[in-house]
Amino acid sequence: MSDVQVSNKAKWWKSADVKKTAIYWVILTPIIGYVATEVQLRSIGAPASEVMASVKSLMGIFTWAASPVAGLVAALALTSLMGKRHYGDNPPPDADHEIRNSPRAAATWVVVSTLLCLFALITGLIVLQKDSESILDAKAININVTGQQWVWNFDYPESNGVRSEVLYLPVDRPVVFHITSKDVKHSFWVVQMGIKMDANPGYVTETAVTPNKIGVFDVRCAELCGLLHAYMQNKVHVVSQADYDAWLSNRAALEGAA
Amino acid sequence: MNKRFFATLGTVILGAAVIAGIGTYVASAKNDSRVLAATAAGTLDTPQGTLPHYTLDIQAYPDSMFGGHGANGGAHPDWVSYGDITNFEVPAHSAITITVTNYDGGETLNNDYFGKVRGTIDGSATLNGVRITSVAPDHVGHTFTVHGIASKQSELFFSVPMQAVAEEDMPEEGYTKTPNVTVFTVITGDAGEYIWNCEYPCGDGTVAKFGNAMSSMGYMSGHFNVVQG
Amino acid sequence: MTTMMDRSASAPGHAAGKRPLIERLNIVTALVLGTVSAVVVWQLALRFLPETPETSLFFNREDKISLLSLIGWFVGFMTGIGALIGPFRWALGKDLNHDENMFLAGKDQGIKRYFRYTTDHKVVGIQYLVITIIILFVGGTLAMLIRTNLGHAQGGWIQPQTYNAIVGWHGIIMIVATIIMITGPFGNFIMPIMIGARDMAFPRLNALSFWLIVAAVPPVFISFFTGGITTGWSAYNPLASQAGLGMNGYIAFICIFAISTMVAGANITTTVVKMRAKGMTWNRTPIFIYGVVASVALALPAFPVFFLSQIMSGMDRAFATSFYNTAGGGSGWLYENLFWIMGHPEVYVILIPSVAALMEMAPVFTRRPLFSFNLAVMGIAGISGLSVLVWAHHMYISGWAPLLNAPFMLTTELISIPTGMLFLVLIGTLWRGRLWMTMPTASIYALLWNFMIGGITGIYLSDVPADAFLHGSMYVTAHFHYTLMGAGLTGALASLVFWFPKMTGRMFNKTLSWVSFWLVQIGFNVTFIGMFLVGLAGQPRRVESYAEVFSRGNLITTMGAYTIMAGMLVLLHGVISSWRSGVKAPMNPWQSKTLEWTVPNPVPLENFETLPVVTSDAYGYGKAKS
Repeated sequence: MSDVQVSNKAKWWKSADVKKTAIYWVILTPIIGYVATEVQLRSIGAPASEVMASVKSLMGIFTWAASPVAGLVAALALTSLMGKRHYGDNPPPDADHEIRNSPRAAATWVVVSTLLCLFALITGLIVLQKDSESILDAKAININVTGQQWVWNFDYPESNGVRSEVLYLPVDRPVVFHITSKDVKHSFWVVQMGIKMDANPGYVTETAVTPNKIGVFDVRCAELCGLLHAYMQNKVHVVSQADYDAWLSNRAALEGAA
Repeated sequence: MNKRFFATLGTVILGAAVIAGIGTYVASAKNDSRVLAATAAGTLDTPQGTLPHYTLDIQAYPDSMFGGHGANGGAHPDWVSYGDITNFEVPAHSAITITVTNYDGGETLNNDYFGKVRGTIDGSATLNGVRITSVAPDHVGHTFTVHGIASKQSELFFSVPMQAVAEEDMPEEGYTKTPNVTVFTVITGDAGEYIWNCEYPCGDGTVAKFGNAMSSMGYMSGHFNVVQG
Repeated sequence: MTTMMDRSASAPGHAAGKRPLIERLNIVTALVLGTVSAVVVWQLALRFLPETPETSLFFNREDKISLLSLIGWFVGFMTGIGALIGPFRWALGKDLNHDENMFLAGKDQGIKRYFRYTTDHKVVGIQYLVITIIILFVGGTLAMLIRTNLGHAQGGWIQPQTYNAIVGWHGIIMIVATIIMITGPFGNFIMPIMIGARDMAFPRLNALSFWLIVAAVPPVFISFFTGGITTGWSAYNPLASQAGLGMNGYIAFICIFAISTMVAGANITTTVVKMRAKGMTWNRTPIFIYGVVASVALALPAFPVFFLSQIMSGMDRAFATSFYNTAGGGSGWLYENLFWIMGHPEVYVILIPSVAALMEMAPVFTRRPLFSFNLAVMGIAGISGLSVLVWAHHMYISGWAPLLNAPFMLTTELISIPTGMLFLVLIGTLWRGRLWMTMPTASIYALLWNFMIGGITGIYLSDVPADAFLHGSMYVTAHFHYTLMGAGLTGALASLVFWFPKMTGRMFNKTLSWVSFWLVQIGFNVTFIGMFLVGLAGQPRRVESYAEVFSRGNLITTMGAYTIMAGMLVLLHGVISSWRSGVKAPMNPWQSKTLEWTVPNPVPLENFETLPVVTSDAYGYGKAKS
């Protein structure tokens, strides 16, 4: 018995099914990594801020880091499936071994999964740190976001009390959103900028972003808030500084008309 | 073998039929398909040029004790409501003049943002014939606020507050003889599906008074569809 | 009170009219008494409850009345089914005698025992199986309504308030169905035999836990007609205190269900700890038993919190307290914390027994020992332990405590390590086995595939910056369906086919099991991969209508969902036809080595004539190379 194990140990990598698994693994890993990354990143679309760009690259990195694991599981499963299969109402004869354990495989597995876990954690923490610094930016534009069943509205306290149901932002300038709700919980999601923060009644929460692309993007409510939750959304227009100033003075005039 | 196949197929068809039946029941039981379409009224000169003109008349009542909600007000006679038809249909690329006759009282808005007239031509409306751009946030009866989904369709947003009928003018029985009439004109873009709701907290519930009538279609909210003219 | 002995002694002409109370109670008396009691309480409350003063808020009186009526229903139903007879008699000092206990165990009653407060664990197991199937059917129907409505960009087939109610109803009853789908039918029927016991430790508690679920179901049905659960299954406050009277049905449902779960948890844990056969050391206890115990033991700390959160929610509605109302000094964040302290362990309550069941089947269908039993136990223990420390990852973006995001990200990502162990055990058992291709075998592969996708997407969601994008989107919905349905339900369906012969005495039709397997698995992956894509593109969860850009993904998802429906209906046909007229099953059709296959079909009332003595674990398959 022990003698068999020794000889097994000496050449485990030479056995046919191990080789087969290795080949499957090498083939499957890049396929899984490529397909999963492409499909996901394409669905996300083009980012409109640094934050969203880092979310995208984070997801790409995680997918590629996970694909060897997924590839290995798939390769092992495929090898076992390609082996002897038995159909019928009575069981096949027992397998020709009684392996109950493999300290080497178990230890490797646990150590590698721990390392991958740490990798995911550290990568995430770095991005998290970078994101939370932007709230402290003193040059940022402050915008008050108010969620109310089922409309958002935005106040520009630094610009003559301009108020709007559509969000206008100048490109390449940091913005801090101060978010609250008048009734139930909502969640303020600027989709293509990768930021989201809940609007809680009675509290003000904050999030920040620097839009870096001119265009029209989406604001959506991401927390079920009652009857017309699905319709609690609007556009965000990211425009040049000049257009932004023009919009502000236009809105200020309308607001002043009261 | 064949018999078993057909038996299985039978179960699947039967099950699907049961599910479809339940679905049809659920969908029809709660769906008010009646639509109030805007009436043509020639053309109108607007800041965007001369456009086809349409009008839409809407009423807001303190309860549901009239026609379309059913005999004696239907399921919820005491729920405040906007007319008995709450789905509206207006043509695209037109000027729509909406007249809201408000028979209901009111108090303070949750959010004074909706005390202002927003999104109408030059940001104004007329209240009983007088031009206004806002209503005092503590004298609002209802608002008529239209918005939609962030989609390819044109952005359409307007919100007009209705002056509340004063407390002393609200009779014990029936409706007031002196409702407040608000008239405003909006310009529609491309065809699209929008919804409207009231932003004055006139429902029930412990939170923000947005329960019951405010949280059911057909009372304080409904569809507002822009269709090809 | 008359006893059976008295009856046999009394005059024959007298006997028919005077059956003892204990024999007369069944589901009909329970429904009648429950309904009568609810109506009486309702009318009394309507008459005598004081009008709400002008200064107070409108909802309170109606909420009080509806909550009181639901309590009336609950007390009436439980009295009518006979839950109080035992405690009452015990308090009087006249505990049930042997004949009465035998009656309660369902001795010689044929089909009638399934409609009574029967204590036999096998009857309870079958009862659980049937109610799980019923709940899954209702939940599945609701899922089809949701998907049909979302087949078209502007929705509108179903009105928004009805749609929201359907989403909430689908959510909560599917959560309940998946919580009970393994520990209920198989934990009750199979588990005691598998450990070599004659019954559960507390047979009456066993009956209680089942009938509590039956008592809990009508409130949630009624709620649909009184405004519905329009808040999603999570019923966040303050939205829940704003919602209509239907929310009271939800509150009553959760409270009763939580009691059921606690009772079942205490019972199953005690049974496994105290009643394992002689010689069945912890190292020889089958892995399925570990899964069941971990699941119910995890529910023990979790469900009292759920219960409490709903009591407070009910008080906010009925008595205008403000636990969750910021204006009155409370906070919605309190609710979120309480909810997710239950909510995250709860997903492992669903998942662990399912994986454990497949681990139990893996050696049988590969004809080799389970790979690394110890790692399997450690994985289950590790997941259970960590799962109570991760709840706030549901609240990364709630604004409640941004500084805690990093620590909760740590605990959450650590769960991937014990989860990895479970993967290794399954994949290690498949390695170099002699595969016996059955539907349960294929389910192991399906679980590996689905759970891999569910697990990896879970890592993105556990990452705070990525979650700031993904939270509240369809991506999350797809992710948890991959874990709870792709992994959880797959294991449960495999368990059904695997243990069907022991539970019904008949084999599950092989063809039907395969057809339904492929329809469900293909449909499932189409459905939820489509849902991942629309989530990544930015579609929020729980929406009745969506922008046109999501149309294609939603159409794919709806097509997939119809395929699942077809598959599940085929399975339903399989259950009914195999149960009625399937091939009679031999005692041990799978040639498995666990104890439940050593008892004859149908399983005798007390399972074993002589209690077995265990000398090894149940995984002694395979033979050494010679």
